[in-house]
Amino acid sequence: MADRLLDYSGLKCPYPILKLSVQYPQFKEGEIVEVIGDCPTFEKDIKAWCQKLGKTIINLEKHGLKIKVTIRI
Amino acid sequence: MHEATVCTEGCFIKCKNFFCEHGQRLSELLHLCSDVIEKIGKGDTSQKIDIKVERYSLQRLIDSINKLSKDIEELINLNHELAIGICEHFDVLRRLQEGDFSAKASEDSSIEIVKMLGQLINRQRERFLDYIDKIKEQHSEMVKIYEQERVILSSIGVAILITEEDMTVEFVNEEFERLTGYTKKEIEGKMRWSDFIPEDILPQAIEYHKLRRISPSLAPSQYEIKIKDKHGRIKDALMTVAMIPYTKKSIKSIIDITERKKIQEQLLHSQKIESLGMLSGRIAHEYKNILTGVLGFAAILDAKIQDENLKKYVQKIVEAGQRARDLSNTLLTFSRKEDISTVTKINLNKFLVNYSEFLRSIIGRDIELKLNLPESEVLYEIDPAHLEVIVLNLVTNSRDAMPEGGEVVITLNEIHLNSDYQNTHPLVKPGNYLVLSISDTGTGMDEETKKRVFEPFFTTKPKGKGTGLGLTTVYGLVKGYNGHIHLYSELGQGTTFKIYFPQKNKINMELINKEILKGNETVLLVDDDAQVRQYIGSFLRDYGYTVYEAENGEQALKIFEEYKEKIDLCLIDFIMPVITGLEVKKRINSINPKTKILIMSGNPITLKDTTIIEKSISPEEILFKIRNILDQKE
Repeated sequence: MADRLLDYSGLKCPYPILKLSVQYPQFKEGEIVEVIGDCPTFEKDIKAWCQKLGKTIINLEKHGLKIKVTIRI
Repeated sequence: MHEATVCTEGCFIKCKNFFCEHGQRLSELLHLCSDVIEKIGKGDTSQKIDIKVERYSLQRLIDSINKLSKDIEELINLNHELAIGICEHFDVLRRLQEGDFSAKASEDSSIEIVKMLGQLINRQRERFLDYIDKIKEQHSEMVKIYEQERVILSSIGVAILITEEDMTVEFVNEEFERLTGYTKKEIEGKMRWSDFIPEDILPQAIEYHKLRRISPSLAPSQYEIKIKDKHGRIKDALMTVAMIPYTKKSIKSIIDITERKKIQEQLLHSQKIESLGMLSGRIAHEYKNILTGVLGFAAILDAKIQDENLKKYVQKIVEAGQRARDLSNTLLTFSRKEDISTVTKINLNKFLVNYSEFLRSIIGRDIELKLNLPESEVLYEIDPAHLEVIVLNLVTNSRDAMPEGGEVVITLNEIHLNSDYQNTHPLVKPGNYLVLSISDTGTGMDEETKKRVFEPFFTTKPKGKGTGLGLTTVYGLVKGYNGHIHLYSELGQGTTFKIYFPQKNKINMELINKEILKGNETVLLVDDDAQVRQYIGSFLRDYGYTVYEAENGEQALKIFEEYKEKIDLCLIDFIMPVITGLEVKKRINSINPKTKILIMSGNPITLKDTTIIEKSISPEEILFKIRNILDQKE
């Protein structure tokens, strides 16, 4: 069960990661956050963001165009 | 491949032939192109049209779409790298702002501005870290200074305390602990400055405390104050106060002046008594002169008057005059105008034992008189009549202070007072003293009585019972022997008078081998008093000395001139008619500067470059002194 859900469906990349970066300071360390996006480059962007900021992707699900990424902050 | 044909339906743009094969194929291709463009538009640049057609215009469209996909892919990649770079740097800046200096920006972006932004952030971070290091260094230095100051403040021999604006005590040093009896733990942060101030001066202390914070120049920086300690004792103190810069705190340094004040009071009291002595002595002296006339003429009148009735009146005048003369004499004793001339060496143990019989008859049965005397005999040169007056007055006072009965103890002992004692009793010179103390278990005295007890005509006794001159006389007599009198009294507890008689620096001659006092030198003895000459000359001869005697300075100089080679020492009286002892000394020294000279005096005096001996000391002491001078020990 995630602590927080962020749905960025309909937003074109790189808006989802820019929005995630702005919201991220409110998160607590260790929190589980689910991020949903449907932009074709969303998966690539979210993976790059997690790698740069040292966050762990604990799950990634694809439902058609929609991708749900679960991250440990 | 289709062969080139001419379309009769209006070519494929305007073709209305639904079944035209060319038209259908073209339509399919255009639909494909539209789908691919749509997907590229959504950001999916993986879409490519991998078809080759013969018609140039169509192939150009396919090539353009493929090129558009590639160009947009590049734009998206650039855009994404830019966004990731911004996200990363944003996060690093945020962490730095929150104080997490482990955050470091990456400098590996292929986008130059993102790379430079990373470098800028890292340099800024380095700069911050340098500042922080410097601040830490300064802080550490300040901590050291703070600790050093605290050690200095703690170990300094003056009581220190630092107070907050609301009077809470922030810091005290060890001396303050000693002054107040409280511990640091009990005071710091828990007690207020006002807790140490007696109530009667508290409003003033608070006013100064507030005023100093509003206008420091208006509050005194140094003033005398009273400090209340843990046991409620009030101490006099001198306090210096200053505001600590940039704070509302003040630092107070406090010196305990309780002892100093006591000494000042002692001095003032002594000066007051001295002034009273001088004044009463002068008045008594003048009255005595007047009374001489009154009594003299009354005596003449008495001799000349024949009428017995009138003679009675003259007798009354004489009696009144005599009483007035006695009173004047008492006052003269206090002011020490009277000579203490009849001093004799008496055995105080015997004196007190004998005199106590008389005292017991005076004090009555309800009062017990105890003697506390040393086993060894104590000899002292004093006029016995004076000693009687001293003891009688003090014992009588004790008796009057014990109407219900009690105990009087007379104690005698010898003590040595060192310079430490002088620190608290500035009028007392260090040395050996004979202490005569008289204690009672009577009513005691209040502070006011203690202050005035030696004043002439001060009495607490009912009118007609006391003259107010008893203790005044005792004081005068004791002072006459260069002694001191100290009073200790507590209301309801009793009173003790301690009299300190100075003992001359006598040597315990009994312990000295008389052989060492002997000599075979020649002494010139000069004194106008034949008895003294005979007395000193005889014991000098007894101890082996050759003695030449001279009865005045002139004779002495003649003898010295004649026997200057033989005379080893001259013993010369200080006061002589015609040529004084000092003049004789001077002339002898002009003949032979190496001649040893010892001046004899009836009174204790000191003169520069002159060895003086008191005539009143024992022969052994005189011989000891002579021996020391001849052997160059002095």
